[in-house]
Amino acid sequence: MKTNHHRSKFLALGSSVLLMGMLAACGNDDQKDEDASAPKDNDKEPTTLTIYNGQHKDATLALIDAFTEETGIEVESREGSSNELAHQIVEEGDKSPADIIYTEETTPLIMLAEKGMLSEIDEATLEPIAEEYRDADGQWSGILARSRVVAFNPDMITEEELPTSVLDFAKEEWKGKFAFVPTSGAFQMQLSALIKTEGEEVAKEWLEGLKENGKTYKKNKMALDAVEKGEISAALINNYYWDREAIEKGPENMNSELYFFGTNDLGDMVTVAGAGILKSSENQDEAQQFLEYAISKEGQQILTDISAQYPLNAEAKASQLKPFSELTPPNGTLDLGEYSNGEAALKLLEEVGLL
Amino acid sequence: MKRFWTERLRHPFKKSGHKRRPIWLLLPVLLLVVLSSLPVFYIIMRASEIGLEAAIGLIFRERVYELLLNTVKLAVTVTLFSVLIGVTTAWFVEKTRLPGKKIWNVIVTLPFAVPAFVSSYSWISIYSGFEGFSGAVLVLTLSNYPLVHLPVAAALRGMNPALEETSRSLGYSRTETFFRVTLPHLRPAVLGGAILIALHMLAEFGSLAFLNYDTFTTAIFDQYNVAFNGASAAMLTFVLLVLCLIFLGIEMLIRGKAKYASVGKGAPREAQLVNLGWWTIPSLMGFSVLAILAVGVPLGTITYWLITGASATFDLAELSSSLYSTLTFGAGGAVLTILFAFPLVILAIRHRGFFSTVADRLPYFIHSLPGLVIGLALVSFAVRYAFPFYQTIPLLLIGYAVLFLPLAQSSIRAAMEQVPPQLEEVAGSLGKKPLTIFFTVTLPLIAPGVGAGIALVFLQIMKELTATLLLRPTGIDTLAIKIWEHTSNAEFAASAPYAALLILISGLPVYLLTMRSFTHKKEG
Repeated sequence: MKTNHHRSKFLALGSSVLLMGMLAACGNDDQKDEDASAPKDNDKEPTTLTIYNGQHKDATLALIDAFTEETGIEVESREGSSNELAHQIVEEGDKSPADIIYTEETTPLIMLAEKGMLSEIDEATLEPIAEEYRDADGQWSGILARSRVVAFNPDMITEEELPTSVLDFAKEEWKGKFAFVPTSGAFQMQLSALIKTEGEEVAKEWLEGLKENGKTYKKNKMALDAVEKGEISAALINNYYWDREAIEKGPENMNSELYFFGTNDLGDMVTVAGAGILKSSENQDEAQQFLEYAISKEGQQILTDISAQYPLNAEAKASQLKPFSELTPPNGTLDLGEYSNGEAALKLLEEVGLL
Repeated sequence: MKRFWTERLRHPFKKSGHKRRPIWLLLPVLLLVVLSSLPVFYIIMRASEIGLEAAIGLIFRERVYELLLNTVKLAVTVTLFSVLIGVTTAWFVEKTRLPGKKIWNVIVTLPFAVPAFVSSYSWISIYSGFEGFSGAVLVLTLSNYPLVHLPVAAALRGMNPALEETSRSLGYSRTETFFRVTLPHLRPAVLGGAILIALHMLAEFGSLAFLNYDTFTTAIFDQYNVAFNGASAAMLTFVLLVLCLIFLGIEMLIRGKAKYASVGKGAPREAQLVNLGWWTIPSLMGFSVLAILAVGVPLGTITYWLITGASATFDLAELSSSLYSTLTFGAGGAVLTILFAFPLVILAIRHRGFFSTVADRLPYFIHSLPGLVIGLALVSFAVRYAFPFYQTIPLLLIGYAVLFLPLAQSSIRAAMEQVPPQLEEVAGSLGKKPLTIFFTVTLPLIAPGVGAGIALVFLQIMKELTATLLLRPTGIDTLAIKIWEHTSNAEFAASAPYAALLILISGLPVYLLTMRSFTHKKEG
């Protein structure tokens, strides 16, 4: 008899959990309904843009807030990793809820453009962006740029000891002294660039050397942390990982420093984060407006201030970074032509066994 | 008895007795089979986009061999260690007079409340030497052994003390009794937990990314991160599925056909507990070390970040809204999963047969797939065939059910294996309808298992990341998503409030789960 008593006690517990769940679920529906109906009643413009965002979240949200304030158009942001979001859009096809996709690198944009899923951006909107930083057919545009750099720990290695070319890291003498992130988009762009300029064989040899000698990380930030903590002498990363931390902590509190090769070397390659408008979007005009704002001086200033990347609109200024004009990116690597979709780089990564 | 026979005469088609599968069981099971097959179809679809030759090229390369070795090594080692720890802790908590067992039971279950990706980055932040195989084994064992501890503890509770007493009275020592009577009786519970852990290891991603250890799943993520033809990822997933089949085969071989039910629970009285004597101190020390490693380290690190971190901000609105959606998704998903699990388990146990076995095993098969693959499969099919549901909460909850069904299944199954079918048959002979029998006879008997299942699924959903990212309604964040957003930028301090909150609320179901057994005992 007693056991029954306990069972009923537990049943009561169980059913209250059930009930809680259902109530919670209902509560949420209510909330959603309210959200959906509210704009219809109050606003003339019910449009809400949806942006699939793989770029720096805080910067993008700040941009969205400023845009909404200026135009009254609401924007919802769906965060994720750039390539996963692009995959999701491919799966969604014509029915994609996304109006805009904004990605870390241009590769996903080029893939979407190749599949004919992006619509043309207005010529006037693209005006402030130099031609080399946007698609020739106007299907996507670069928004921000950043430089590949070497972060190094001066306690472990002096600037003089660092090589004169990023290609030298493949040499035996660098064994165990540096880290790289083979799965990062920027690294792949760098590899694609090397394939384009020096040919597949040189690229493969370099990659094999890096695999043999270097330590791999999954994230640029983790590689930088390893340098900061003195676990490894140097790491191949993007400038903004270091700059953001330097802005937050103060540059004098950083254990590591940035090294630029300064000789139009592949190691100083500039890569671009960009955005495009989905052809399937029913809000083409509003989406155009959003990109226009993201490219405008005002929008670009917000983005660069928060994310420590270089604005592509020359009117906006990146304050705490090494001046964009002083960067010496390698020649002929902005438009990678047939290698821009990254497939050749991918094949090499697979062949070498890094993927 | 008379009524039973008149029933039978009146409905001669019922002659095959309980072996006939009733329609109310079959319908939900069929629905589940369809849902669970979607990811497999999806992989086949994606894989068939490239030719056979290319496919073979993608599978038979050195990297895949490396990944295979890494994955198997990790799965086997973590599972073995987890079984060792889980059985030990369960035995001490249920069968001995360990001082403070009430609290210890909660504490040793608590690691389950700490997401593996949180504990992995707390270990890494202490010392980067925890990277690689040994670190992965350490972190994953510590966060997974409760999957063995919980069902084994439940089984020990449900076990008729007379079995062990009979063994002792026949002259077996305590140790012999443990290995000859107790352990075999625990086999379904141990196996249930072990297979879950092994499959988890196949699909584990977040923590392994931090720990820098490559398995099939991390490679599949890498592929999706850089490649656009999905084919290479699909081939890797294929190998993963084969691996999973092998694991499931091994589990079925060990499980065998033995039955563990006993008619009647015996006298409802306290089982004899073991006096630990001078073993008390070493046992307590062992429990303390386990608690420090599994709970102390991650909690300590989070607290440290909360206190010292510069990027730590308390955005109350963000915190409460992500807490709210975490709880909603967790509760809704857990309920749905349990509802799906009932018919599966009943079918598998009471109506054994080929179809039942396949239906029962299918969710386990899917369980070895990375959440990313299941998420993409659901995206793909929902967009095509159920668009109004796309990026809505119902679809997300279905996704959770597909992902976590085995957790509910194994909990319910472990409990149900100990319920003798004769009880249900007697109720049937008294003219009760099957559903009435389920609610009045079966459910009360398996209530502990159901409770464990709800809690387990609830906990896992709250920690789930990849499928949530793909399937959630735009603009809704869960705690796990907030943690991911911050940790992927290595803003550990900013992630700390969310991590702390997630662990705190996860602690609640863990506590409820363990508390129950003791109220039972005290008054029992």
